[in-house]
Amino acid sequence: MGARASCAQRVLGEADMAALAVAGGRRCCRWVPALMWERPCRLQHQQAAAESDLPIEMENPYEEPPKRCILCGINVDYKNVQLLSQFVSPYTGRIYGRHITGLCNKKQKEISKAIKRAHILGFMPVMFKNPSFLTDPKICNVKY
Amino acid sequence: MWGCPFHPWKQLVLSLNLIHLAVFPTSAPWAVLLGQPETAAVLKRTVEALMERGAIVRNLENLGERALPYKISKHNHRHRRGGYFLVDLEGPPSIVSTMMDHLGRDIDIIRRAFIKYPVSKTEECSGIVPVNCEDKLIPKKK
Repeated sequence: MGARASCAQRVLGEADMAALAVAGGRRCCRWVPALMWERPCRLQHQQAAAESDLPIEMENPYEEPPKRCILCGINVDYKNVQLLSQFVSPYTGRIYGRHITGLCNKKQKEISKAIKRAHILGFMPVMFKNPSFLTDPKICNVKY
Repeated sequence: MWGCPFHPWKQLVLSLNLIHLAVFPTSAPWAVLLGQPETAAVLKRTVEALMERGAIVRNLENLGERALPYKISKHNHRHRRGGYFLVDLEGPPSIVSTMMDHLGRDIDIIRRAFIKYPVSKTEECSGIVPVNCEDKLIPKKK
């Protein structure tokens, strides 16, 4: 097994001696078991530097720009009741979850905080949606 | 945070920009209707009280008079309409508690609040970053 690692020299092991005895005195050919044969072995650390076949490291040219949620880049304000009402149920006035609104972590938290603040400060109704905002375009993934 | 003993000059440097919002009643079935001079008087009182406590009033906005989203009972009255005002001010954090007390005693103010200046960081939003699940599974070495 050692011979595989070091390609340089073969050590005359017991197997070799046995082979010599079997050969019966033939000087030219030495019977070497297949495992001990010298084979061209390519070592990674020796070959890698020389090879120019390897892939060049570069940024993925086909990389898509990161996905953006609807509110990416929009400033969320507690006074903007119309925007906040779009993420609230018209029947119960409850705030829709992340799986319905499709917002990213940050924006969902901001919206939630803004809605609760608007409730307390007397900007937005709590138990229902302001009737004047009922005809607003539907953003959320709700099936009525 | 409110009771931190800062030096006077440090207080100015570390002051918070606070916005104060108040809702004044304009009409109620059995209460006095608040007309323009009365509303002006209330605002004047509030701003003077703020300046007395060492706050710098930058701006006063009128967000309009509208019907409240729900009936608010305050000072033995059930209010249905109100005027919304936004006071832009800068001051030390210690005035918040004293001002809230002071405004709570004012009959003409239905709802009061102090809000920190919103720091808008929306320009840096880089979209949804895909979550690397492998990193979460590998326990962090403390």
